[in-house]
Amino acid sequence: MSLSLGSRRLTVESRPVPSRLVRFLAPTFSVALAFVIGALILVATGQDPLLAYTEMIRKGFVGRLALTGTLIIATPLIFTGLAAVVSFRMKVWNIGAEGQFILGAVASSGVGLWVGDQVGGPLGIVLMLVAGALAGALFAALAALPRAYLNTDEVISTLMLNFVALGIMNYLIFSSFSFWRDPGRATFPVGKFVEDVLFLPRMVGRLHVGLIIALAFTVVIWWALRYTKWGFELMVTGDSPRAALYSGMRVDRKILSVLMVSGALAGLGGGIEVGGVLHNLDPRALSLGVGFTGIVVAALARLSPFGVIPVAILVASFSNAAPGLQVLGIPSEIVILLEGILFLCIVAGEWFLRNAIRVERTAGPAGAEAPAS
Amino acid sequence: MAESVPEVPSGEAARLAGITKHFFGVAANEDVDFDLRWGEIHALLGENGAGKSTLCSVLAGLYHPDSGEIHLDGDRVDLGSPHQALDHGVGMVYQHFRLVDRFTVAENLTLGHPETGFFTSRRSLERQVGELGRRYGLEVSPQAAVWQLSVGEQQRVEILKLLYRGVRILILDEPTAVLTPQESQNLFGTLRALADDGRAIIFVTHKLDEVMAVADRVTVLRDGRKVGAMPTSEADPATLARLMVGRDLSVTERPRTAPGEPVLSIKGVTAEGDRGLEAIRDVEIEVRASQIVGVAGVAGNGQRELAEVVTGLRRPKRGQIIMGGVDITRSTTLERIKLGLGFVPEDRMRTGMAGGLPLAANLALKAYRQPPLSKGPVLSKQAMEDRARTLEKQFDIRGVRGALPTSLLSGGNIQRAILARELSARPRVLVAAAPTRGLDVAAIQAIRQLLIEEADAGTAILMISEDLEEILDLSDEVIVLYEGQVMDRLPRDRADPDLLGMLMAGRGVDAA
Ligand SMILES: Nc1ncnc2c1ncn2[C@@H]1O[C@H](COP(=O)(O)OP(=O)(O)O)[C@@H](O)[C@H]1O
Ligand SMILES: [Mg+2]
Repeated sequence: MSLSLGSRRLTVESRPVPSRLVRFLAPTFSVALAFVIGALILVATGQDPLLAYTEMIRKGFVGRLALTGTLIIATPLIFTGLAAVVSFRMKVWNIGAEGQFILGAVASSGVGLWVGDQVGGPLGIVLMLVAGALAGALFAALAALPRAYLNTDEVISTLMLNFVALGIMNYLIFSSFSFWRDPGRATFPVGKFVEDVLFLPRMVGRLHVGLIIALAFTVVIWWALRYTKWGFELMVTGDSPRAALYSGMRVDRKILSVLMVSGALAGLGGGIEVGGVLHNLDPRALSLGVGFTGIVVAALARLSPFGVIPVAILVASFSNAAPGLQVLGIPSEIVILLEGILFLCIVAGEWFLRNAIRVERTAGPAGAEAPAS
Repeated sequence: MAESVPEVPSGEAARLAGITKHFFGVAANEDVDFDLRWGEIHALLGENGAGKSTLCSVLAGLYHPDSGEIHLDGDRVDLGSPHQALDHGVGMVYQHFRLVDRFTVAENLTLGHPETGFFTSRRSLERQVGELGRRYGLEVSPQAAVWQLSVGEQQRVEILKLLYRGVRILILDEPTAVLTPQESQNLFGTLRALADDGRAIIFVTHKLDEVMAVADRVTVLRDGRKVGAMPTSEADPATLARLMVGRDLSVTERPRTAPGEPVLSIKGVTAEGDRGLEAIRDVEIEVRASQIVGVAGVAGNGQRELAEVVTGLRRPKRGQIIMGGVDITRSTTLERIKLGLGFVPEDRMRTGMAGGLPLAANLALKAYRQPPLSKGPVLSKQAMEDRARTLEKQFDIRGVRGALPTSLLSGGNIQRAILARELSARPRVLVAAAPTRGLDVAAIQAIRQLLIEEADAGTAILMISEDLEEILDLSDEVIVLYEGQVMDRLPRDRADPDLLGMLMAGRGVDAA
């Protein structure tokens, strides 16, 4: 492909394997570009970009309260981010982390309410989290089974199941007197709170051990993808399902297991959000799009498990800073805008990773060209 | 071709001088000169990776050379894009077609054509397509959607598309690689007719017979350099082969090993193809230890389904498959692999290999299940790498660079890698489909040698191939498939090309 501009010519050639330098430069440049574009938009809308950015950093990271706040928001994003990484690595598109996260929260709050203070803290917490993961996995299986055995499109089924999950949660709290709903609060419906013994232990301020669990799972997923037969089969199936079948792998079971692991991660995230932050089933706090943001996080992390951590923290810092910005008269939507621009820039950067552009002079003697990319 | 020798071609159509093109340090073309005359078919011969596609792409405006000049019709030109090349009357049919599947033939022809206005009537377009088609033997239905067409027909559309745009220099990059022998013959007729009308044709191939059969002149490339050019009347296959490969090729002689016990029996197997029709019917084949049974036939007569049924990728409707005394008719692919079945599939890049993964992973596709590559659920990357190094050396797999995707290797090296993986598992039965299709001469030799050695070591080999020469060279027994049925079964000494050709065309011995 090439394009002529006066005496110059731009030629695009595909880069089979990007060099180390390019692999580092492309995402760095993309992030920088996103902030520049964001600044331009701020200027165009009469805001001071410098002020906005300093505030974002201050409110997102500086001080104990800011930092713990950011990390608390990052924790569920790490789980939904990992959920997307696992399935996207196999080119199976689980868009349903949102719903799996919600059902994880439903199940773990249900188990928490059910066990009460009968089994003690540690066991009760473990039961809650296991229930969350299990619910996420089973909910993902609803899309995974038809995908594996009938080859239906998982993008559509997982997406639709998000609305089902949301409906279930809203029904349990708003439209019924379910086991989850606090019967004492008839006018303003809320979920019943679990016993104090079932709260995840806190480390610093409100920061709970969910973050440590998230980091531990990141290591586990990284290891499983890289150093286990399961990860190997996932990689082969993702690259070529036919090659996987041919070498004796059961592609249907692989799809099922990968989607269920992905769902379990999202569901566990929901359980941890209940155990660590909410302590009840709170539809307002659980429908902020954590599952969808997880997809963005995974994409920005270029599907690397360890990449998910810094990206989740960055994105969380945006959300954490948003209310503070509003106080200064900067619309908090700038944060969503930045997320979007960041996403677009990374996608563009991805293209530059795979293609090289050369600028050549078309006039003049052959051989006098200046490669520049 | 005796009666239709064209007049002595004259007049320079195109001249490339000192073309050099590097890709990230790899020299694809190095100081290549090339000239093309009106009215000639000029073959561009070379092994895979010799730089043929790159040179053609330079003339077609797809690549800009690092240095060198392009002259068209005597004038120096600078081709900035395939579009500019088209404006100069130069067009190329790429190795991989560039048609839009969902569109009809007619829509593909007008797609991106500057002069086809909104109002060009469908009728006039169809008339022109019909005329061009009749004149040059390129008949296709203009209303058909491209995805409905066979590969051969799609190629015709590609050629028509270029003719419709008034191309006078026509470049075809390995057009016969995807064609059956019969389709290739038709294509040659088309090319001859086009050349007789004064056009200039560049015909890329790595097959010597095709050069001898159709070209007026031939230019040979090796490792990116031009190593020779001559009229075909002054060329002979041996000289061309030597130029192309850079050394003499030894001819494989198959010493006979006495076949042993039957190891693979296919008994009355019937199976459906992807479209639900019976693709193979009541097929009976028996392969003994140390024996190579060749399955001959024109592509699409059930070969793929036969291979898939044996390897467990397809369920038979009826019949039985026995391997080493075990009924494997209902076994999974994995169980068959464990019983000692090896498979070299026809589709190397998507079935035989996961093309995006590094070679070490692909070499481990089957061995990863056992020690030393894995213990329990845990994989040993180190053992995987070590094993890859050993196999690369043992099977002479070249061009491997660390974690690079396997798809970047040449066809010959990929096939060597597949054989390395399959043979290192010490199979009792090996199913090899189109084992040397699309490979260059040196690679073909190497692969055939490997198959022969494997048979001599006691493996039962079922070889499916459209290449009659290959069938005759390697097989102890030949089976001919026609429309999914076994037409006949001949011992090697009773099989000859004429007889096989007749059987492949569906004509029994009696009818002849
Ligand atoms: N787009 C490309 N990027 C990098 N290397 C390339 C590219 N195209 C060709 N090459 C390399 O250039 C050499 C010549 O390739 P090619 O012209 O395709 O050969 P041929 O068509 O004769 O098989 C090979 O080593 C190939 O790997
Ligand atoms: Mg080529």
